[in-house]
Amino acid sequence: MPRGGGVLGERVVNGRSLRLVKSGPELRALEAGQVDAVLDPATGTAHLLPAAERALAAAGAPIVNSLLAALPREDYQSLLGELESVTLASGQVLHEPGERIRHVYFPNDAQVSLLIVMADRKVLEVGLVGREGMVGIALALRAEASAVRVLVQGSGSALRMNAASFREALGRSLPLQHELHRYAYAKLIQARQTAACNRFHQVAGRLASWLLLTRDRVRSDRFHLTHEFLAATLGIRRVGVTNAATALQRRKLISYQRGNIRILDRRGLTAASCGCYEIVRNLAT
Amino acid sequence: MTVVVMRLYIANAAPNSVKAIANLEAICKQHLPGAFKLEIIDVLEFPKRALADGVLVTPHLSKLSPSPAAKIVGNLSDRSNVLHALGIKE
Repeated sequence: MPRGGGVLGERVVNGRSLRLVKSGPELRALEAGQVDAVLDPATGTAHLLPAAERALAAAGAPIVNSLLAALPREDYQSLLGELESVTLASGQVLHEPGERIRHVYFPNDAQVSLLIVMADRKVLEVGLVGREGMVGIALALRAEASAVRVLVQGSGSALRMNAASFREALGRSLPLQHELHRYAYAKLIQARQTAACNRFHQVAGRLASWLLLTRDRVRSDRFHLTHEFLAATLGIRRVGVTNAATALQRRKLISYQRGNIRILDRRGLTAASCGCYEIVRNLAT
Repeated sequence: MTVVVMRLYIANAAPNSVKAIANLEAICKQHLPGAFKLEIIDVLEFPKRALADGVLVTPHLSKLSPSPAAKIVGNLSDRSNVLHALGIKE
């Protein structure tokens, strides 16, 4: 995994790099970010610049995020210098609606919710992003600001890139454009289905669908979510979540204790779900 | 037929090095088909040799022949600059 947060380290090394490289084309190339390593005549050694070092370290590591993993190796490697590993904490807000997007994120095991905040402060989840996607797809579609609140729901790691570098990467990589456009379409399908689901389907069925989507996303039958989170997700009051969850527990489809959810009977839960889970799963993958 | 002899100094598979190799290969394929000799040297493996050859940063491309000798540094994405340094008319 690329090393993250080395701002002080970068300043020190770049200070040294600039001392070694005093003028001319070498300095210009260094300032343009086109240099990987600097040679020191005094010691007879080569020093990798931090971005290059991160990229080389990450090149050997397995790629967790599916969008990045789907890229040709060359395209992924050309991104590595700009990708920074970050830890996202549950409850952290990455973007508010209307805010300019400063970074895009490719989650590894972090889970991120996309929320619409209504004028009367009611909140509804309209999307989920995990290792299968990215946060900040608006930038890939040439928009500048987030339309939703982006909230970290499950802590974990992600790779982050600043907006300027991302725009530049998009410009030079056709495979990246294709992957992101395909992903954007999958999100559109999901959003449309969610709209119909919210309007017509019952809470218990919606909860079941949502739990199955989460299971696919985190790749585990066990995960942790509070009643509050689920209430915001489904756009209902907390008591509605408790009732729906109790109904599913009574049927021995899930166990749900102190926020810890365990799916006991996946087939049964699928049968109890509202059907939107399967539609979205088939269309969007 | 004049053969252009070059040496490219890189740093393993670091991003600018990867780009430089790709850019140079494209240029040679289009402008010097069959008329070039390229040696690639990894400065992480042979730093002293690179320093002896006057290399301070990588990527660094040296044109050894035909004279005049020339050099260009960076990821070689500015094709005009590279062609100019190699003495090739566009």
